[in-house]
Amino acid sequence: MHRQLFLMIGTVLALGVVPAQADDVAAGETLYAESCVSCHGSAGRGMASFPALTGRSADYIVERLEQYRAGERVGSNTGLMAPHAAELSDDEIANLSAYISEEFQ
Amino acid sequence: MIRHITTVSLGAFVASAMIHGVAMAEDSEADIPSLSYETVLSDLSDPWDMAFLPDETMFFTEKCSGLSVRLPSGDVNALLGMEDTEGYSTTADDLFCYGQAGMNGVTIDPEFEENRFVYVYSASNLETPHTNRVIRLTVNDDFTDVSDRVDIIEDIPYKQEDSDHPFGDAGAHNGGRIRFNPGDGHVYVTTGDNHNGEIPQDPTSLGGKVLRVDRDGEAAPDNNEGGDFDPRIFTYGHRNVQGIAFHPDTHEAFVAEHGPWHSDEVKALTAGGNAGWDPRPNVGDRGDCPDDYCGYMPNQMEGMDPEERRAFMPMTDLERFPDAIQPAWDNDGLSQGMSSAVFLTGSQWKDWDGRLAVGFLGIGFGDTAEGHRVDVLDIADDALSVEVTTMDLPVPAGRFRSVVQGPDGNLYVARDEGEIYRIIPE
Repeated sequence: MHRQLFLMIGTVLALGVVPAQADDVAAGETLYAESCVSCHGSAGRGMASFPALTGRSADYIVERLEQYRAGERVGSNTGLMAPHAAELSDDEIANLSAYISEEFQ
Repeated sequence: MIRHITTVSLGAFVASAMIHGVAMAEDSEADIPSLSYETVLSDLSDPWDMAFLPDETMFFTEKCSGLSVRLPSGDVNALLGMEDTEGYSTTADDLFCYGQAGMNGVTIDPEFEENRFVYVYSASNLETPHTNRVIRLTVNDDFTDVSDRVDIIEDIPYKQEDSDHPFGDAGAHNGGRIRFNPGDGHVYVTTGDNHNGEIPQDPTSLGGKVLRVDRDGEAAPDNNEGGDFDPRIFTYGHRNVQGIAFHPDTHEAFVAEHGPWHSDEVKALTAGGNAGWDPRPNVGDRGDCPDDYCGYMPNQMEGMDPEERRAFMPMTDLERFPDAIQPAWDNDGLSQGMSSAVFLTGSQWKDWDGRLAVGFLGIGFGDTAEGHRVDVLDIADDALSVEVTTMDLPVPAGRFRSVVQGPDGNLYVARDEGEIYRIIPE
């Protein structure tokens, strides 16, 4: 899935479009749709064993994603989250966090 | 042998297109229905199951809210709320949700016209450790309330404490589907292993089992061979069964069951049978395991080859249990969150008439694709192989928790995200 995202970004770059910047909500929305929506839902409400993201601050999301990326055990879903976080850049974490905190109040 | 027609190979002779939400299929060999859809309900909270009366009255559960009913007019009445809910005619404060647990399955008594009974499966804190229960309710004449609660089964185990496993929070692996078999008139109850190594093969525990009881919760005759077995146990050695359906001609019971990072399984049940799941430590050439449960080993927190997992911790251990019930299908060795199942019936389903529809929650781990979908299985007469077709669903992909055929012949599909769809074959 992430590979597809990189391919897409590569295509965008090849077309000369300005790349996404940190805190880019639109870029975060794209990444969320790729990697997060199937468990956390389109409204960020969570479902089944997957927690809601509503009401979370950008700092909270950044901190959690950085923990997962660093290989820290955060909770019982770490095994699922860690592979997703492992490939995220600092900018992508910032974009995702900006989208989640703004969209899911 | 597993004969699997994938969506890719099917594409060789099926031309599909989405036109205004209608999936059109053309096929020179198979006569497969075109599918369109309507959204029946949305903005629900984890809809878990549905059950229909002949006039299309639909009872449905939401995992953390409770039981409601949608009338043929489209009006919805909230009947039995769980703790901390508002707006329900009746509230039961002992019914709670946590993690995977909550209010799960719902079914209607075959003699509803006379007795007005509906049944739900729910976690309850009336006892500690808490339990899962099968609860019988009486619906009033105008479908606005329920009364006369009777807990016909009180002692299905609930996972009380967190453990060191994936999804290891309390409340894991409850099973939770309940269905009446029109062949024998009994209600079948599917349960889960609670991440507890001992439960599935324990003849006295109701976890990791399929139970078969009457409307009062009394054991059906001839469930098992007796001895130490609880007489309510129909089959044992299960992991987490969320799907059960009965063959439209033979009434044989088939279950659909989550696999442990590998091997979701569909299998035909026989009374007293062992489904072959035994996640205890220090058996089957396995050593110690985290919190005495080997279900996700040998590498429970990271992706690895599902075949290696299967060799270490088989879903159906035919080496240790040669007489175990063999699966008709193991999802090609993958686990993608197989959930509920129902046999499609009626000529509107064309070649799919009599085939088993199986819903997947979808979960990607390691190199396994998420796999949100509904598959249609043509099960061989000996229930040891299948042909698989993936529905070209017109609805958004998602975690398909429940599939139920309505009295109108359409397929009703619940998505965890909050919708119940009506899938219409043409």
